Amino acid sequence: MKRVAITGLGVVSPHGLEPDAVFAALLEGRSAVHPVFDELLPKPAVAATVAFDESRWFSKLQLAGVDRVSQFAVAAATLALDDARSVDVDPERVGVYVGCGMGGATSLETAYRGTRVPPLTIPAFMPNAPAAHVAMRHQVKGPVLTYSVACASSAVAIAEAAAAVARGDLDVAIAGGTEALVVPGVVVAWQAMQTLAAFAPGEGATAVKPFATDRSGFALGEGAAFLVIESEERARSRGARVHALLAGWGTTCDATHLTKPDAAGQARALRQALARSGLAPGDVRYCNAHGTATRVGDPVEREALAAVWGDAFADLRVSSTKALHGHLLGGSGALEALVTVLAVRDHRAPPNMHCATLDPACEMNLVALGDDRDDDLNAAISNSFAFGGTNTVLLFTGA
Amino acid sequence: MSSLKELQDLIHEKYGLEGEALDPDASMKDAGLDSLALAEFLFSVEDHFAISLPDDDPDIDTLRKLADLVDRVKAAKTAPTT
Repeated sequence: MKRVAITGLGVVSPHGLEPDAVFAALLEGRSAVHPVFDELLPKPAVAATVAFDESRWFSKLQLAGVDRVSQFAVAAATLALDDARSVDVDPERVGVYVGCGMGGATSLETAYRGTRVPPLTIPAFMPNAPAAHVAMRHQVKGPVLTYSVACASSAVAIAEAAAAVARGDLDVAIAGGTEALVVPGVVVAWQAMQTLAAFAPGEGATAVKPFATDRSGFALGEGAAFLVIESEERARSRGARVHALLAGWGTTCDATHLTKPDAAGQARALRQALARSGLAPGDVRYCNAHGTATRVGDPVEREALAAVWGDAFADLRVSSTKALHGHLLGGSGALEALVTVLAVRDHRAPPNMHCATLDPACEMNLVALGDDRDDDLNAAISNSFAFGGTNTVLLFTGA
Repeated sequence: MSSLKELQDLIHEKYGLEGEALDPDASMKDAGLDSLALAEFLFSVEDHFAISLPDDDPDIDTLRKLADLVDRVKAAKTAPTT
């Protein structure tokens, strides 16, 4: 099996379109979460949205039937390829692996609310449209695949892409995820699920409080992130800049409950990722947690991490950056993978914000604001645990 | 009166086409409208003129042919029914 390198990063996020600037915002603990649809919803909601100029990526004609979710994907994948620089490869040896939970929510909402249903609603909405648009834009002619695995979608996509590159099936994979579902119909559905954060007037930006005693859920986010993945051997031979290595990954299913997380299933995914990387728990210094700040989810994740890390758990520093960029659902695994790559590359761990009082059931070594520097941070994991029971862990190491 | 000028304005506004692409006899396909974009454009044309275009009309690929069709549908709509 070949070693897998990350040579390109592209992002369209609530903190902008430049990976280093996104990471800097997270290190500063800057929240992109804000109130949305004030007048339209029965109760207030917050979300993290993207200031996106589609005209940078599409002509008016190219936008025909292209939902926001696909626009994000094309932009982020293009940025990732630009970052990877001169990926000269047989188009059939390239794959596109995209995680997307919902598809084109804006198109569906428009169809429902309008007086006539636009004829391109289906091609705009279908969840594999983002991958297809990336393929058409960059003339990718190998596998072009979509993984819809709720909150783990894009982590699964990245793991599957890495596996294909490691096996030698592909020379290059463009892997990531996209989500654009901050529309009123979707927000009310999540409110009905009782998973979104409550907040006092004027306190929307700090509504998401991972691992805190007063946590009440997450905020929806939108955006996309993509990684260019190739073998380390290929990357080195072409003189590419390697941001990090994807040294391990693990995917398991709880097979216990549709929405209730299970520590045993998560622990198995964590162990798989460690085993593939050949690292011991103590080698891994940072965990970008799934950390949705739900009452149920956070202690279960703590339980899984503590079970696998054992005596080394106290030295594992943890944060959930969802407090700042929201929960991108199908896109979250990719955005958080990108953040974790930068954490390893720069030896800095972003803080876990808005946790004034740590819940004793979530007792762990959270990264404090301003305490991000760790020169020994050379390996880190990103957790993505989905409705449906699928758990995916990505483990990155320094280049 | 022909709908051609309105169609030229509409396709310019919607898709940014200009210059030779607005030539009444130029191929819309050659100007970049694939089958999906054309379907979306025809939907906009229906909205704009408050008409319903026939589903079975064979390959309309120029603005002139489309204008002729729109004019026929409009005329049929306003013609006396008795």
